[in-house]
Amino acid sequence: MSFFINEYFPILLLLFVAIALACIILGASYFLSVQRPDTEKNSVYECGFDPYEDSRNKFDVRFYLIAILFILFDLEAMFLFPWAISLGHITSMGFWTMCDFLLELTIGFVYAWKIGALEWE
Amino acid sequence: MNFLLMHQNHFKMFLPEVFLATSILVMTLHASLLVTSKRLGYPILTLSFGKLSILVLFLTFLLVYNNPIPFMLTYQNTFIFDALTSNVKQIILISTICCLFIFEDNLVRQQINNFEYFILILSAVLGLLLLVSSYDLISLYLSIEMQSLCLYVLAASKKNSSFSTEAGLKYFLLGSFSSALLLFGMSILYGCTGTTNFENYTLLFSGIDFDNLSTAPSISTALIFIGAAFFFKIAAAPFHMWSPDVYEGSPTSSTIFFAVIPKIALFAVFVRMFQTVFAPFEDTLLMMTIVFSICSVIVGSFAALRQRKLKRLLAYSSVSHVGYLLLAVSANSVEGTQALFFYLIVYMITSLSFWSVVLSINTSTNTERSKTLIDFASVATVNPLIGLTGAMALFSLAGVPPLVGFYAKMGIFLSAIGSSLIFVSLVAILASVVSSVYYIRLIKIMYFEPKSDVSFVYPVSRSCSLMMATGTFLLIYLFVNPTLLVLLTSKMALCLY
Repeated sequence: MSFFINEYFPILLLLFVAIALACIILGASYFLSVQRPDTEKNSVYECGFDPYEDSRNKFDVRFYLIAILFILFDLEAMFLFPWAISLGHITSMGFWTMCDFLLELTIGFVYAWKIGALEWE
Repeated sequence: MNFLLMHQNHFKMFLPEVFLATSILVMTLHASLLVTSKRLGYPILTLSFGKLSILVLFLTFLLVYNNPIPFMLTYQNTFIFDALTSNVKQIILISTICCLFIFEDNLVRQQINNFEYFILILSAVLGLLLLVSSYDLISLYLSIEMQSLCLYVLAASKKNSSFSTEAGLKYFLLGSFSSALLLFGMSILYGCTGTTNFENYTLLFSGIDFDNLSTAPSISTALIFIGAAFFFKIAAAPFHMWSPDVYEGSPTSSTIFFAVIPKIALFAVFVRMFQTVFAPFEDTLLMMTIVFSICSVIVGSFAALRQRKLKRLLAYSSVSHVGYLLLAVSANSVEGTQALFFYLIVYMITSLSFWSVVLSINTSTNTERSKTLIDFASVATVNPLIGLTGAMALFSLAGVPPLVGFYAKMGIFLSAIGSSLIFVSLVAILASVVSSVYYIRLIKIMYFEPKSDVSFVYPVSRSCSLMMATGTFLLIYLFVNPTLLVLLTSKMALCLY
């Protein structure tokens, strides 16, 4: 049992801290802010078009493209943080693997750029 | 630097894959700079990229062929290299070269002008090469995903056709569902054993007392999930629903690629997993393969009788062929595995030959829509050689004696009967009689059906005619002298035992 507590106690702690932090941030922004609601402010924000429309209308696909590219390059950070923390433990193999990953990612970025995926007009 | 020395040999084994990956990156960079160049007038790179891809695949083939080390586990046992992987990789590379060779013309006619098409095919091949070698659940999952993501995009690659988009979306949704099953099975397996490595599984399960093992039922469940995902990917019968729609909707070039290439890689991994690594659980696995085999053979034979569209017919025919292949897997012996690879290679040769016939019967009336069976009317009168090639390929698919398809089927049935699967073999033989009905009906249409409309027949491309000639030659030659193929497949099968 003590092994169980030892292993999982940090996770429990993290859970409580996360809940407390979420409550504080939400509560603070709810109670401390000046609130003057109107229709536009209360409506759901959906990028670029009205959320409650007929679904057979045309919509702009560029928002999705940007969002997908954003997620792609955002995920890279998810790999970079644990890598940066454990850099002392992994050998130079780990270092060069990440360099290779970044290089390939850059080639993908160059492709997206040149093909015009990032351009709005 | 000691890490370079440590990984020197590992890197040597990975040279073909590294070369292919580097070429893909260089080609992407090169093409994205070139097609956007205003100075060169935004060139269309389809033809030159087709040739370049063939060159890259050929060089990769040479690298695989010249590999100096016969057996090795690399990178913490995540990848395995032996005679099986080397031969399967060579077959995959050669057949991809053949595919690229025959659909060059078709791409131009379908106006698929994006260079990404070739890069996706090369990436799919890279995924397949890694899949064949993978020896760990993680590398297995990642390489399966790599190849299937490329296949989804290939299915949807004709942007202006809603059928193609539908095929891509359907393939993507069902494919990701099967990947979820695969991951679920893998997570149960990891939960029960605490390892993902095949080498560790082999050691763990050898000499274990299964009656007193409390996790044995969970491991069997996990294997059923993993097996279900595999059956999804190879389109075995209850999980075959996606394949006719995807075959029908995708552009013909992508359909050829789906139909010919990925099966052999999936089967190679499947056989390695189920006959060596998880061999102690063979009761569960054999029950599963036998049931799926019977289902696939029956569904494939009977559903194809009602099809009017050519690609749907071929999709159902491939479902029934998967049934025979699973029968060879269920035999669970060296002969069975040998028959499996023999059948796979013969099936690839025959399909390449038949697909090049399909690509060559273009007339002015049928290029725009997808082909139906009636487009084959009087092909043998208009061009007797194409008719003969088509008839040979179909007879070989049906398993009629003077062609190598007969040996392939016979090997599978003999190995199944050798493992006393008498009833299953009987069902499969009866179903193969039914399936020969629609092959022979197609031949009847080619030879005896009068052509109802007047249309201009396009000339046959040189690459298709070369492929047809080579295919037909091999179908006859390998019947007369199958020694080469038997030796090759025995080498591949013996490697597992």
